[in-house]
Amino acid sequence: MKIAPKLLLIALFFGTSVFAQNKELLYDFNEIPQSLMVNPGVKTSQKWHVGVPFVSGLAFQGATSGVTVNDLFADDGVDFTTKVQERLLNVMANKDDFSTTSQIEGITVGFRGKNRPDDYYSFGIYGETDIISYWPKDLAILAFEGNGGANLGRNFDLGDLNLRGEMINVFHFGINRKVSNTLTLGARAKLYSSVFQFQSIKNSGSFVTSEGQNNVYETTINADMQLQTAGVREIYDIIEEDTGTTQKDLTSVFTERVLLGGNLGFGLDFGFSYNLNPQTTITGSILDLGFINNSKDVWNYTFSGSTTTDGISVFLPEDIDNVNNDLWQELIDEIDAALPHGENDSSYISWRPVKVYGSVKYDFGQGGGAVLDNCGCAVNGGGGRSALDYYRNSVGGQLFMIKRPRGVQAALTGFYQRRFGRVISLKGTYTVDKYSLTNIGLGANFQLGPVNFYVLADNLLSYSNLADSHYASLQFGFNIISWNGN
Amino acid sequence: MKRLLYSVFLLSGFLFLNQSCYERQDFSQFDDLSVTPTLASGLFYFESDEATINSTGALGSFYTDEVNFDAFNQEYVAERLLEGIITYEIENTTSKQLEIIIEFLDDAGRPLDTEIFTVEADPSEIVVRDVPYGPAGKSIDILASTSSLRVSANNLGDGVSVSSVEDPKIILRSGAQFVFRLK
Repeated sequence: MKIAPKLLLIALFFGTSVFAQNKELLYDFNEIPQSLMVNPGVKTSQKWHVGVPFVSGLAFQGATSGVTVNDLFADDGVDFTTKVQERLLNVMANKDDFSTTSQIEGITVGFRGKNRPDDYYSFGIYGETDIISYWPKDLAILAFEGNGGANLGRNFDLGDLNLRGEMINVFHFGINRKVSNTLTLGARAKLYSSVFQFQSIKNSGSFVTSEGQNNVYETTINADMQLQTAGVREIYDIIEEDTGTTQKDLTSVFTERVLLGGNLGFGLDFGFSYNLNPQTTITGSILDLGFINNSKDVWNYTFSGSTTTDGISVFLPEDIDNVNNDLWQELIDEIDAALPHGENDSSYISWRPVKVYGSVKYDFGQGGGAVLDNCGCAVNGGGGRSALDYYRNSVGGQLFMIKRPRGVQAALTGFYQRRFGRVISLKGTYTVDKYSLTNIGLGANFQLGPVNFYVLADNLLSYSNLADSHYASLQFGFNIISWNGN
Repeated sequence: MKRLLYSVFLLSGFLFLNQSCYERQDFSQFDDLSVTPTLASGLFYFESDEATINSTGALGSFYTDEVNFDAFNQEYVAERLLEGIITYEIENTTSKQLEIIIEFLDDAGRPLDTEIFTVEADPSEIVVRDVPYGPAGKSIDILASTSSLRVSANNLGDGVSVSSVEDPKIILRSGAQFVFRLK
């Protein structure tokens, strides 16, 4: 087996072994500073925090709603072609997807305003890669089975091709404000610096071969398809040239683009936390309300038009004097002309995948003094029996939604959180979504003095055989947190 | 101290939970993937009215032409062609017996194969002929080497009679379904 297809397969199935973007364990886990990134309006308690560069927030998620790696590559003695037919082609629908998201936080810093202790400011840089590809069901069947045999008369939907991906670097600055004892609001501005982006999300058309009106078979194709890319051409050319300085050239391009040298965009996050009563809190956030203007290094491919063909045709007497023997080539040229395809460099806007979180939480099992008594910031700490008192337990539910090319995907989570003093906090979740009905996750936050470490893992039941998992997610990081002036 | 021990214990437990397992996977199976779609397409359609046939007189050829036909001999296609069937349908509503000859020619114009159809005068049934290629039929090399088709149509009857049916014609339809090995 050649290395390229092997790498492609591994990338496809392993790269997609983590769910798209839902961070249900991190959400409202306010002991972890990174919870600000999923709700800028989360309750903050610290005086300041600094993430350990490049290891303060690492998140890898991948998912497949259909076939798993194990379904295809298990060493089970079943013929591989049979497995592809029975477990992939016969089962997966065009709403099934492979998706992957990863985030690496480069820098994160937060601090409380000196003159406005109710405000907590945070800023930083993180890189994100997000790719989703829906299963191109009809195109896969067309390639695997063809348009003949049992597929005569079948209308293949060209709109099944639907994918989107991007790698970006994000510079962000957020403000979190305690408006009152019951309400905290937050907002974050983001500047996106794109490394690359590609999307093919508005395809339509059909391809059908059936018994013809004139000839035995006739084939009709209607197509309106487009692949838009930005930042891909230069990378492609560097790899294609293979001059011996490939790695250096790629590094140079990558460095330039992550530092605002590529296509740029802008986005906003908003969030809130509100205490309905001392023990009940509702929260919500909307993230990545933004776009990227792709105007540099744009390389688009278009394919559109419609035609019907039933082969070479000769009609007498009309063609009696036509002794042209290039009828086949003329037919090919006619089809080409009817289905124009080409490239262009028209700029385009790509929208970020908007995410929405919401939650309701009930705290109980009061454990004594407020966890924030040593805050030193007079914010969210102390104050007797308020919503800010320290409770050992929390239970609640969360809703997550994300805008995807084929519509909104939702996930529902129930959680239980248990705090052991200020040192340890554990959160367990059960999540249902299109990828899994058995997603049990566990998160832990450890606070050893000023050193904070957290690790969050999803779908633990699948860890018995990761290759058979539809969904896997892992996040972890280190921070230094201060509640005092130290 | 007690807290620290507790922390270490919990951390260990958590990490233990995250020790993932992996059933043995065999990615070399991809080499065994067989992708052999069946592709269907119309090939050649020929139609002539009876007046054109009569205009060439009795026992004469009323059409002959050699057309370039590279559908199968493109290198990518020829190498992947496994088997298939060409279907011919001939409908004759004219008043005379007709003959259609299709010759498969190579690059040098040499005939590789010939299909001859003789159809009776109206009333006659539609002639349908399936010609298999590959292991169960003619050599697939015929198609892989075919560069052009020579189509000839001959009148085996008189040159004056006219069928009583409306708009009498000779029609040749053809289409193919072939299996290719993409992988």
